[in-house]
Amino acid sequence: MTQQFGDAVNAKVIMMIGANSAVANPIGFKHFLQAKDRAGTKLIVVDPIYTRSAAKADLYLRIRSGTDIAFVYGMLHIIFKNGWEDKEFIDTRSYAMDQIRAEAAKWTPELTSDVTGIPVDQIIQATTLFAKNTPSAIAWSLGITQHSVGSSNTRILPVLQIALGNMGKKGGGLYIIRGHDNVQGATDMGNLADSLSGYYGLEDGAWKYFAQSWGVDYEWLKGRFFEKKWMNEKGYSLSQWWQGVLQEVKTYSSAPVRAVWIQGTGITSMSQQAKIKEALDKLDLVVIAEPFVNEAAVLTSRKDGIYILPVATQFECEGTVTATNRSSQWRSKVVEPLYESKTDEEVMFLFAKKFGFYDQFVQGMKMGVKDGKVVQVKNDFKWPDDAVREIARTIKSIGLSGWTPERLRAHQENWHMFDPVTLEGKGPMKGQYYGLPWPCWDDKHPGSPILYRRDVPVAEGGMGFRNRFGLEHNGVSQLADKSVTVKGSKIEGGYPQLTKENIEKVLGITLTEEEKAQMGGSWAMDFSGLIQQKAREAGVCVYGNARARTIVWEFPDPVPLHREPIHSPRWDLVAKYPTYEDQPKNFRVETKFKSEQQKQDWSKDFPTMLVSMRVVNLSGAGMLERTSKYLSAITPEMFCNIHPDLALKHGIRDRDMMWIHAPQGTKIKVKAYHNHSVTPDRICMPYNFAGIFQGIDLSANYPEGTKPYAIGESSNTITNYGFDVITQISEFNAGLCRVEKA
Amino acid sequence: MSNEMSRMKFFCDDHRCIECFACSVACAEAHELPTGISRRKVITLFDGIEGKEVSTSIACMHCTDAPCEQVCPVDCFYIREDGIVLHDKEKCIGCGYCLYACPFGAPQFPRDGAFGAKGAMDKCTMCAGGPLETNSEKERHLYGQNRIAEGKVPMCAAVCSTNALLVGDAESVSTIYRKRVAGRGKGA
Amino acid sequence: MKKSIILFIALLGLASVAYANESQIWGEMRIQNILGYGQEESLKLGVLFTMLQSKYFAWVFLGVLLGVPLVFFLHYKIVGPKVFPHSHKKHYAFNLFHRTVHQIAAVSFLVLLPTGFIIVFGDFFGGGTLVRMAKNLHGLFTIPFAIVVIPMALMWLKEALFNLEDVKWFMILGGYLSKEKQIINATQFNAGQKMWYWVAILGGITMILSGAFMFFLDFKMEMLHNITGLSQIDLLRVAAILHNVMGFAVVALFITHVYMSMFAIKGAVYSIITGYVEEEEVKILHNAWYKKLKEKGKF
Repeated sequence: MTQQFGDAVNAKVIMMIGANSAVANPIGFKHFLQAKDRAGTKLIVVDPIYTRSAAKADLYLRIRSGTDIAFVYGMLHIIFKNGWEDKEFIDTRSYAMDQIRAEAAKWTPELTSDVTGIPVDQIIQATTLFAKNTPSAIAWSLGITQHSVGSSNTRILPVLQIALGNMGKKGGGLYIIRGHDNVQGATDMGNLADSLSGYYGLEDGAWKYFAQSWGVDYEWLKGRFFEKKWMNEKGYSLSQWWQGVLQEVKTYSSAPVRAVWIQGTGITSMSQQAKIKEALDKLDLVVIAEPFVNEAAVLTSRKDGIYILPVATQFECEGTVTATNRSSQWRSKVVEPLYESKTDEEVMFLFAKKFGFYDQFVQGMKMGVKDGKVVQVKNDFKWPDDAVREIARTIKSIGLSGWTPERLRAHQENWHMFDPVTLEGKGPMKGQYYGLPWPCWDDKHPGSPILYRRDVPVAEGGMGFRNRFGLEHNGVSQLADKSVTVKGSKIEGGYPQLTKENIEKVLGITLTEEEKAQMGGSWAMDFSGLIQQKAREAGVCVYGNARARTIVWEFPDPVPLHREPIHSPRWDLVAKYPTYEDQPKNFRVETKFKSEQQKQDWSKDFPTMLVSMRVVNLSGAGMLERTSKYLSAITPEMFCNIHPDLALKHGIRDRDMMWIHAPQGTKIKVKAYHNHSVTPDRICMPYNFAGIFQGIDLSANYPEGTKPYAIGESSNTITNYGFDVITQISEFNAGLCRVEKA
Repeated sequence: MSNEMSRMKFFCDDHRCIECFACSVACAEAHELPTGISRRKVITLFDGIEGKEVSTSIACMHCTDAPCEQVCPVDCFYIREDGIVLHDKEKCIGCGYCLYACPFGAPQFPRDGAFGAKGAMDKCTMCAGGPLETNSEKERHLYGQNRIAEGKVPMCAAVCSTNALLVGDAESVSTIYRKRVAGRGKGA
Repeated sequence: MKKSIILFIALLGLASVAYANESQIWGEMRIQNILGYGQEESLKLGVLFTMLQSKYFAWVFLGVLLGVPLVFFLHYKIVGPKVFPHSHKKHYAFNLFHRTVHQIAAVSFLVLLPTGFIIVFGDFFGGGTLVRMAKNLHGLFTIPFAIVVIPMALMWLKEALFNLEDVKWFMILGGYLSKEKQIINATQFNAGQKMWYWVAILGGITMILSGAFMFFLDFKMEMLHNITGLSQIDLLRVAAILHNVMGFAVVALFITHVYMSMFAIKGAVYSIITGYVEEEEVKILHNAWYKKLKEKGKF
């Protein structure tokens, strides 16, 4: 997120859309409640369900899932019509807002209301409240990202904030709330199939850069791939890896997938459970490395070739974790790994040793920088300090250079010296923000709690927008206007990102020969640190000072457009706002969009909308929490919230069992809870159960003594087929189903 | 010496309570309670009803005029000078009168008496243990942790994610709540 | 027979454990019960119970425990017992079944009452193990009484029905206030005995039910909720109040019954031991019954 939670108290209005922080991030939500109490902040909640967060809202809007883009355009329509936009901000710091205006002009309140299901007066009320009381902030999480248009959802909301001039200031910005601690860290380290760590991508330049930092021969790395081309290809995603096994559609790889190693991810929280089961059954080898029995082991009926390795929990290992606000926290080991469990890294080291690449695997932790070159500086490594050092040395793209083990340990040991709301340090920690929220450009930098602030010097956490997409587009300069000067900067107005080639010109300096020899090609690939050093002297941010683009010309929809979910209850709107064309190769898998959506009018046989929800006591696949007796006692069984009117229409009484059928032919049997948080056109259930599959109890599959206190159907058995066009995340939060009394 | 305002009190601010169960689970964990017993329970009324839904956390309120203490036939209750209401489990006969008298349903009875009937009463102790020797093994076993004796805050309020659950002397608690109410008034 | 009853009660107890999760007192109901406690529309039973139990119950019990025997002590000293010779003919009025049932009830009462008192004055006895044992015995001995109360009710039901003679009986209090041996026109049971019968049976059943309710706490009684509209906790409060108030009556009349049968009418106690009643006693105190028996040639 661009802010940090304590900044909520500076917002006049906070709009939560596709987020249920009261349940998903209670402590984070505290900041919103404190803002309400201490600063009179108004809370707007936009959600298909009346959640616990909605219960605390000043204004609640019940939206049809998958229509968020339409809703935001409805807001933009009203904003532009009334002239409430921040014209100066748009003109000086953004690009292509006119194209957004053109699209917004179509979205009258009436049309928006028809598509989203929100009454006209509520749309107007919410927009007026949000736009006329700035700075206002937006918070979202998986309700926005988990859609077939997720990558457009996540663009239209920043566009709204840019239109209102809410970016780069206290009280504004975007609270993109990550779930678990260290989901942000996992993303930063590239636990994704389409990039190396730190968002460097998979081009040759990135591979060579990493090879240098790892102290490993680039050719040797290349040799690890079956063919060179796979080195630059995205891998299979977590959503459809099973297609690599089953190959029911066209897939692209050197061979079918034959083994899967699952470490630290709940497979039963992914969609298409029936397919995952088939894939697990078909594989040659399944290895599961977890602290608890990952229910992938229970879902499969295989009797052989499946191994469960006990891995240590967070209390039994040491390292850093990155919070949703980009701060890093050092975490100490409290107890040695119990019984036979091993820490994650130990498991990986043993694996590497077994398969003969251990030396290369750990080489990076023995390296250091000398005269701008990465060389070996020690013969052995200390975990995790040297791993943290390696990260700091390598990941310049998001400014992790300042995250040295010494600084992070010091922060952990001196919590009491930091203000819990502003994160500012006091005493010996003065001048630093807790956890050094990235970007933390060098080891003197305090961290950047709020992004894009040009009223703060770069050395204190300020910056403009990143210059990432070239210097001009269609003849228009992509650099910020002359008037947009970052405080204390030597350069007036916008400037490009710094490279060895342009640094002298941009900063107006001269480099010595020695500096030229040591300097790296660009700010993100400069081991010498000289580019950052020169930038610091000039009060300049290494990544440039550019305009924020409101369109993404590389995407199928440069301007974010509303498209109906793959399985939509409104056949009439499917014709007007169809989904994307089928994607022949999306993360190596042929992925259907239009052909699935328009195969038939799904709403005829599957008239009820399917929404997923969180419960506060279970997270992710739920296998950890369901082994705790107290947490299980809160939700001892899988359930589905259903409005009494809908339930009784099918003869389903409160606490009766019911079947829920999905378009792909799967079904689950769950207990019906009559509940008024849903309306009769939709049902809503948690996704954190496993252990029962399509009505069949899988208890016998649990190794002795490992069965959790609570088991149940996984809602992902019926999550509809559907994936985002760019990220391939499953469309968990929109879909259709049919209920039936069991 | 013990005036009304210096007595220890709980207060749950239902504008802040989000039914996260932290208080209930932390209490059960800290005092190693059996799963059937919830010294502190979290409840939501009007679940899903727009504009009406409210959540709150309930446990023994340590009343100044504790009705439980008034009705106990074996007189096993004692009210500390700081207002915390405690009882002696070894004296308690599990008759249930305190439950009938309590407006909040705080007393609970684990089913470990003869013939599976109710055993000695168990309730929130405001983490102040019981009559046995402070922080002894026996006290911990029967009553749970004695955090007050160590100068710590009761477990539930310590973990409340939104600071809905307040505990402390009545003066401090009402000061905090008054500030919040005043803050809520402005900017309406 | 007794073993299977114990097993049955134990199963009920264990079954209650299963109900604890959907408790009528805790869980969801807790807030509903709180709202009921002192609100305008509620019956304020909690307040009532607290007031009665903290201020009055123990004192009334003490009053009954001391006062009733005191009255009878004075009666014994001033009026004295009625003595009937037991040398004449006897009639076999109470067979083995009657006597067994009566004896079981008697033994039960002889445990139920003292243990009940130990509970009421628990603090005097220092609480803890002694009083807890008393409570368990109190519960345990409810079982034999519960077994015999229906047979006892049925076997003497006809005789226990009130008639006009009983009004006359009450006006002279059965003649017990004078030293004379007045002829009383009572049937097998006089009005005093009938009164005791109804208190013992109806009161006893009330005590059993209210006591069981309190003992098992979480017992699901949908029917009762629907009929009375009260929540479980309010039903428990009613049970507690009822148990105590009924207790006054049962204790007072039990003491009376013991006094009458063991002290005030010498030799009457043999009815429960041998089953025989003495001729003159029947002639004087139950004259209508005497005439009937004479007709049948029993004497």
